[in-house]
Formats: sequence, C-alpha cells, structure tokens
Amino acid sequence: MPTIDVEYAELEHLLGIELQGDMAKLDEILAFIKGEVKLYNEREGIISIEMKDTNRPDLWSVEGLSRALSGYLNQQKGPKHYAAGKPAVEVNVNAKLWNIRPFICCSTVKGIHLTDAIIRGLMHQQDKLDKTYGRSRQKTSIGIYNLDLITAPLKYTVAKPDEASFVPLGFTEKMTLSEILERHPKGIEYGDIVKKHPVYPILFDSKGNVLSFPPIINSNDLGKVTEQTRNLLVEVTGTMHKTVLNTLNLVTSALIDRGGKAYTATIHYPQDSEYPEKKVITPDFSNRRMSLSVEYTNKLLGLKLSAQRISELLLTAGLGIEKTQKDSVDVLVPCYRIDVMHQVDLIEDVAIAYGYNNIEPLWRELPTTGRAKPDQRLIDIARELMVGLGYQETLTYTLTNQESLFDKMNAQKTKNVEVANPKVVTMTCLRNWLLPSLMEFLSNNQSVEFPQKIFELGKVTLLDEAKETKTRDEEWLSAATAHANANFTEIKSALDAFFGNFGVDWQIKETAHPSFIEGRVGRVIVGGVDVGVVGEINPLVLEAWKLENPVAAFEVNLQRILEGKLNK
Amino acid sequence: MVELRTQEQRLLSALGSLGGKASVEQLIDACRFPDTAVMRNALTLQEKNYITIHAEHQNVIKLTPEGQQYAKNGLPERNLIRTVAALGGTADPQTAAKQAGIEPQFIQIALGWAIRKKWAIYASENNTIRIAEPLLHQAFIPEGCDETLLKYLNDKGQAALEELSPELKEAAEQLKKRTLLTIEPKTTRTLQITPRGKKAAVESKAAPQEITQLTPELIITGKWHTTKLQKYNIQAPVAKTWPGKKHPYLQFLDEVRAKLVNLGFQEMTGTSVETSFFNFDALYTPQDHPARETSDIYYVEDPQYGDISQHATTVQHVAETHENGWKTGSTGWEYKYSFLIAQRLILRGHGTCLSARTLESKKFEVPSKHFSIARVYRPEITDKTHLSEFNQVEGIVIDENLTLKDLLGVLGKFAMEIAGADKVRFKPDYFPFTEPSVELSAYKEGYGWVEFGGSGIFRPEVTLPLGVKEPVIAWGLGVDRLFMMRADIDDIRMIFSQDLDWLRRKQVT
Repeated sequence: MPTIDVEYAELEHLLGIELQGDMAKLDEILAFIKGEVKLYNEREGIISIEMKDTNRPDLWSVEGLSRALSGYLNQQKGPKHYAAGKPAVEVNVNAKLWNIRPFICCSTVKGIHLTDAIIRGLMHQQDKLDKTYGRSRQKTSIGIYNLDLITAPLKYTVAKPDEASFVPLGFTEKMTLSEILERHPKGIEYGDIVKKHPVYPILFDSKGNVLSFPPIINSNDLGKVTEQTRNLLVEVTGTMHKTVLNTLNLVTSALIDRGGKAYTATIHYPQDSEYPEKKVITPDFSNRRMSLSVEYTNKLLGLKLSAQRISELLLTAGLGIEKTQKDSVDVLVPCYRIDVMHQVDLIEDVAIAYGYNNIEPLWRELPTTGRAKPDQRLIDIARELMVGLGYQETLTYTLTNQESLFDKMNAQKTKNVEVANPKVVTMTCLRNWLLPSLMEFLSNNQSVEFPQKIFELGKVTLLDEAKETKTRDEEWLSAATAHANANFTEIKSALDAFFGNFGVDWQIKETAHPSFIEGRVGRVIVGGVDVGVVGEINPLVLEAWKLENPVAAFEVNLQRILEGKLNK
Repeated sequence: MVELRTQEQRLLSALGSLGGKASVEQLIDACRFPDTAVMRNALTLQEKNYITIHAEHQNVIKLTPEGQQYAKNGLPERNLIRTVAALGGTADPQTAAKQAGIEPQFIQIALGWAIRKKWAIYASENNTIRIAEPLLHQAFIPEGCDETLLKYLNDKGQAALEELSPELKEAAEQLKKRTLLTIEPKTTRTLQITPRGKKAAVESKAAPQEITQLTPELIITGKWHTTKLQKYNIQAPVAKTWPGKKHPYLQFLDEVRAKLVNLGFQEMTGTSVETSFFNFDALYTPQDHPARETSDIYYVEDPQYGDISQHATTVQHVAETHENGWKTGSTGWEYKYSFLIAQRLILRGHGTCLSARTLESKKFEVPSKHFSIARVYRPEITDKTHLSEFNQVEGIVIDENLTLKDLLGVLGKFAMEIAGADKVRFKPDYFPFTEPSVELSAYKEGYGWVEFGGSGIFRPEVTLPLGVKEPVIAWGLGVDRLFMMRADIDDIRMIFSQDLDWLRRKQVT
C-alpha cells in the first residue's frame, strides 16, 4: 500500500477546509477515497497518508487527493477537465527499442511557478508512480527537465554500454552508461532492468545532448528542476503503452493543477516496425465512455435508486455524466481514473457517495448447514486426551530451518519444502516433523519449573509429486516430557493411554533412530503400518538444544489414523 | 499441662540430655531430624520461651581441591628445594623441577616462593638455583606456618579463622591469595534450654503421640482412635500444580469455528503450499502486482512449479480475463498473461485461495456458506505487530440475490456473534478481488473501535472465470486482534509464545 506525504498547510488550502489539527476528522474525509492518516508530524507539518487502493495512482499527490475529495466535500462535483495545446515537441523512436523499452510519451508545460514545496510534492508523486504503478521502474519511469535547455526534436534511441556518456543527476563528472550502472546509486538499484540487453535506451535532444538514460537516471545538466525553472519537459518511458500514457497524463495534469499550461508532443514510431501505431500524440486527456445499468447497480447494492440519483452520486464521486437515461447512465470516466475496468467499479463509487452507513444491513437466514472439517471432531478428542494426560498444548511456527529439523536432532537430512526468499535464517523451510518444534520449546524454558510436559497437534508439510501443489499437509501429534526422571516407561505409558482411549490398537517394534537412545526407542505400528516413533531422546540431541534434563517423547502421524477412523 | 508437638518434644529432651546447650549440628545428630526441621521446631520453642537461640558468626576456612593436593604432596617450593638439595645444593631450575615432578607452568611459582621464603637464591646470569647458605647444612628445612595450616585443614576438613593463632591467621590469608583455601563467613547457632524449658521437657513427656499422615495401617488397625492427628498450618504455601491445558489461542479458534458452524458455514481446507494461480490469478491479481514480489510472498525453492492442468479451462478463462476481460464486461488488466507464472508455487499468503478453489470445484449448492481457518505466510520481520506466519479466518457466502446489504448484514452478525460488539461501522476498503469492498469496525465497551474485518463482493472478473454466476460475498475477520484484546496482550508474538510459564499461568476463559 502506498503511503504519501502531504504538507498540512497545502492540504488545508487545496481542500478548502480548516482541520485545526483534528486527524480523526481528516480520517473521516479520507475514508471516501480509502485513505487513512498514518502519522502526523506536527513539527514539520507533514501528514503521512496510507492509500489502500493500489490501483488509484491518481490519488498519490496532494493535487490528486483534493481533486478526488472535492465532490464529497460539496465543492466541485464531476470530473476535472484538462487540456493540452498543440504539439510543441516531436520525438523520434528507434525500432531497436521494441524489445527493450518500446514506448515513450511526452508533454511540455510552460509558465509554471514552482516553490520548494511544489517541487518536493512533484518528486514525491514521481517516486510513488515509479515504485508502485511503474513496478519499481520496470513498467514505467518518469523524467522531468528544464525545457529551455533542450532543443527539439528528441531522439529516443539505443546506445552501447560504453558508447554514450553524460553527467548523471547528483554527480559532477561524465560517466558512460556502464559506469552509471556500476557506480551511480540509481544504476545499482535499477540496473537489472536493462543489463540483460546488449544496448541500452537513451534519450537525446537534436543537439546530441543526453536527456536521460531511461529508466535509470536523468542528466544533471538538463534534468535539474529548481524554483527558477518556468518551462518543463516531461517524458515517460516503459513497456506498455497504456501505462506509459496514463503515467504521463497523471504527471502532466498535476502540473496543470499547479498553474502550468500544457502542450502535446508527437511521437513518431518507425514506419518499418512492429509498432501498431506509427504516430501518437501525447498526453491524452479525453474521457472514456461507459454505460452503467441502473438495474445492475440496484441489484448489487440492494437499493432502489433512480437513474437520476445514480447520476448525482457519480458526480459526487468525481465522475462525469454524458446522459441520464431511464435504465442506464452514460458515464464519462476521466482520463486519470485508470482503476475503472468494469461497471462494478462505478457501482462502488455510487455506494460510497450514498454512504455505506446509510445502507441498512440485512441478515438473511439461508438454509445452509454448518460443518467443521471432517476430522475436526477427532482432532479435538485427541487434544482433550493429551490435556487429560497432563500435557500442555503448544502452538509453534511451521516455518523453521534445516539446522533445527535435522542437525540439532542428529537426524538424516530429508528433502523438504524450502523457501527461495527467506527473510530470516531461522525461517527457511516448512517443518516435515513436529518433534524439533517441541525441543525448541523446551530449550526456551530451561528456567521454568519441572516436570515439563508438552504436546502439539499440528501440521507438517511433505513433498508429494502426485499432488497439484507437489506437497501435502498432514496433522501429526507429538508429545514430550522433560524432568530429572523422564524415561521410556513414562512416555510409552502416556502413548498407550492415548491410543487406548482413542480406540487405536498399536504395537511397538524395535528400531534405531538417531534422535533417540539406542535400545530405548520403538517404532509405533498401527494396522501393520509404521506411523511414528517413541523413546528417550539421545543426549547428543539434548546437548544440541542445551537441555539439562532427560526428555522422552513420541511423534505419530495422526493423519493416517484419522483417515483410517473416518473411512470406517 | 504443657502440650508439645512430637518433634518439639524430641528436640527439647535431646537438648536436655546434651547438657542444656548444643549446636544445631549436634541436635541434627541427636534427633535425626533434617536441619530445616531442627530450626523450624527451635523457632517455635523459642517463641514459647523454652529455649534461646544464640547466633555466632565465624569465618570458616576450607581447602580448595588444589590446596588438598598440596597438603598431601607438599608445596611445590618444598619439593623443588628438596630436589635441589639432593642434587648437591645447586642446580638449574628446569632440571630440578622436572625431577621434582613439577609441571613446567608451575616452575616460576615454585621458584618464586622458594626465593621469597629465603630457602634459595637464584642467579639469573647462569640460570642456577642454590640453597640458601644458612640452610645448606641443616638436615631439614623447618615446616612453615602455611604448611602447618595445610596439614591441619587436611586432617580436620575445616577450621574457624577466629580460633587460629596470629601466625596461622597470616598464613591463612597468604594461602587464600594462592587460591589454596577459601574463607567464607558462616553463622553457627547454639540452642540453650531455659528453666521453663527444663520443666516443660519433663512435664510434656505424657503428651499423646501426634501423627502427621493418616495411613491405611492406622485406619485398618484402629490405632487412629488413640493417636492425635497433628493440626496443619493450613495457611502454609503449597507447591504449584500445573494441569495440562489447551493452548489459549487454539481454544479461541475452536470457539470461532463453533460459532461459524452455528451460523451455517462449512469449513474449507487446503495446503500451505499453493499455486500462484489460486493465490493470485484466480483472484484477479495481475501477474506483476506488488503483492507478488519476493518481499511480499514466499516462493518455494524446489519444486518451483505446481500442476494446474486439471483446471485447464478455468486457467484459460482467467488468462483471457486478465488480458482483455473475457466475457466479464471488464477491460481486463490488458497485459500478456503467463501460464508459467500461474504455476509458480508459493506459501499461501491468504486464505482466499481456498474460497477460489471452492468456487472452482462447483461442489456446493446455492445458497451455501463456507469458511476456513488457514495458516498463511508473509516474508515479514517478526515484531510486536507483525508475524511471518499467522492464522486467517475467512470465507464466502454464495446466493442468487446477494447485495451489499447482505454483505453488511453478514459483517454485522460476525461483529455481534464473534466479537461481542455493541455497535458496528463500515468504511470503504480495497482488495483487488472485491468491488465494492467494505472495512468493518466493531465497537465494544471498554475497548473502543477496532478494525475487525475486510470484505467485499467478488468482482465478476473473479467469479465468472471460475464458473460461478451468482454473486459471492467474501469476508475475512481480524481474529488475532480480537484474541489479543481478550487475552490482554499487546504483542502479537505472544500468540505463538514459547513461554511455558505464561501458558501455565494463563487463565482458561
């Protein structure tokens, strides 16, 4: 979820309301657009707002936020209209970019008066768009320049890693493209996007000055915007035309909101190429038309709204109305509302404008029968029996590590489910047996009064080639008793009591298991099938877990037993 | 008539026969009581003015293991000198030490003490040790105070510092520095009988025998008629008993499950490892969505891909929905769908994949209601408010004419039944797979407003490709928060607490 920082004073000014520092009040207003105050830094006058909707980049600036709220605050209903003047710049695109970063969209904005706050706001919006909507610049990246230093037409083309060089933003020396990838912080951060290609994207003006090395970094000479800059050039490059265009629309409209006058650019894609369109004019502020069914709206909301009422509510939500008919409303979706994909997106706006809390909740007794999962009853009985035997139930993580599962248990490594992107070294794989979880639990309780008797009935995950997910989860049961006199007899007696009361006939068979003491361990056999192990823990294992008391334990695959019982 | 408890009586008469004055140790021997019993009874006797207790503080000297060894084998400097004498009065220290059986690391110590005690002189220019002139002609070098004390302690086991002569006291301090002995303060208690006690010792002999534990023998033989059962101090603290108990969080989930079953919901289950298809694609989450980044979801290392071939038709419809909206009336996400990404195995990040599977299975009647309690995984650094593994309670309601009103109704019911809320409030929310989406807040007296759930009506882009024409309400409940409130904990890690003491002390509520 993107979090945006806005200046308190600016927000009050743009919303046209006085908050008097009341964040609860602001929260109530932000609820209309799924925003929530996360932090209010009173000293700096900055409010951090979390926007829940990841598909509403139009809200990620203070301008966009106030645009979206103005209808709900009864200020200006309906969409905001944007326009751009005749093409001022032309951009020629090299066909070789098709497989690298094919699309570019461009605009110019003149006569803008930038303040320090506005520049920071622009950078912030640009950053959010690059990160979230642009998927960390993979899909789109934005560049803004001082138009007065640039001579059109522009050339969006490719260069070999060591062919071109320029002074990147924030540096004073010229660097080649490959040097930028190696040494510039942005090159290090985003280099992977282009590194796989033999040539890199590059944007020149007609004098051969480098504007930028998309999506990595702009030129320090042309790409530095200050309070003195009056005329801007905006360019967005990326992999999908629609996303690139949407991003340009968003950035350009924010600059228009700041008093600039926008002009379009003409993008020329090469004639002899796979590009579907050879000439594109950007930005494109035209509305989309969408028909909303009155019946569908009322069916989904459980309301009886007239077409007229629906139109009014849509206007409150900032959408445009072309025509209100009897059964449908012809809606104009403004260019910045890229989230609208289906009628349901408009219907939600109708509901929000109507007010969720003005809708009467309805609970209908549907003729359904509730049911816990089939084995739940037996699982509960098993847990109750263990509790009755004096064992405390534990709940531990199924995410663990190889050291705990095997090394510390003195056990043979078996293949289990490992994660490719572990966050911490203690959580790298899913457990395939329970006993290590209990040993870890005991080792965390060395200073707690003995005897300690614990059990867990929980899931283990096993590899299974035959299954859709190549794995299966099973419910296993493990118990351990730890104290100065803990021994085989005690745990065997507990297991026998458990099985006896659970209605399971079992046998024990001599075996060797490296986690247990030789000659003090047995295989648990039910219905001729090996379902587990019972015995005294090997002192090697106790040492590995830093345990100072003897431990006796059992572990059984309860799943097999449950299935056997359920199939009876 | 004086009534004394058996133990008190025994202690008092033992003290009498020991001449009216004895140490605790002597009385332990005489009465064959454990020391705690002697002191306990002595205190009650003192309260009754039958005896007085005198405490004497002493410093007790004991040999360390090293000290004991030297007591037996002689101090190293003594052994060194003896060897040098045997070698003719002059030798190099290394050779002498070797012959004397002194380990190399102790040579310097032995040599140092021999010189300090003026037993020998060391000449560094030719590395020789020579027995000091006055001693050269003596048959034996006389025993030092330190050696005397070592022997004494070795015989007696210990001694009181206060009882030693000034010379021996000095030797004790020196030997302490050599870590050959320890000096520790100790309190010795002496019991002395009072005249009143003397009288009581005689008179009380007639008191009937008091019995602590009623035994089967006493009952069977009828002896209990003539014995007296000792009164207990019923205020005395007793040892803790720790019963076996269910885990408080699991017990809480049991309750949630029972309530959902009562409300007509059926439980769904599935595996912790899931395909990206059911966790994301089927829920209309585009394949480049941030929620699918490695920072937000665990990917399985090996095997990387699952098998979704038995859902081929659904996969095709989902793919088209993502690409162009298919027949859903949506624009779709407008990108090229990858079947490979769909098969990528992950650890499920939410329980909603189970709802998607249920819808796709068509194994339900209309209307129907389902829920799941699923362990889910997110690559978070665990802290007070985040777990990388936790349980989610969520589910669906399927019926022909469900509306937003029903959704609010279901949420309201949950808030009342499961959270015991007094009031509810709804706010717009966002999930990629529902529209409209609603956040539920529940108000409970004493707790205030708490976010308790997220929900919505599945988008047609979710239900239609899965083959479901009816509207489907999807809901999820913030049960962890509810549990934390009930259990009065403010650290989410306590749910998986490894603290046995906490579990033992946690009340069953």
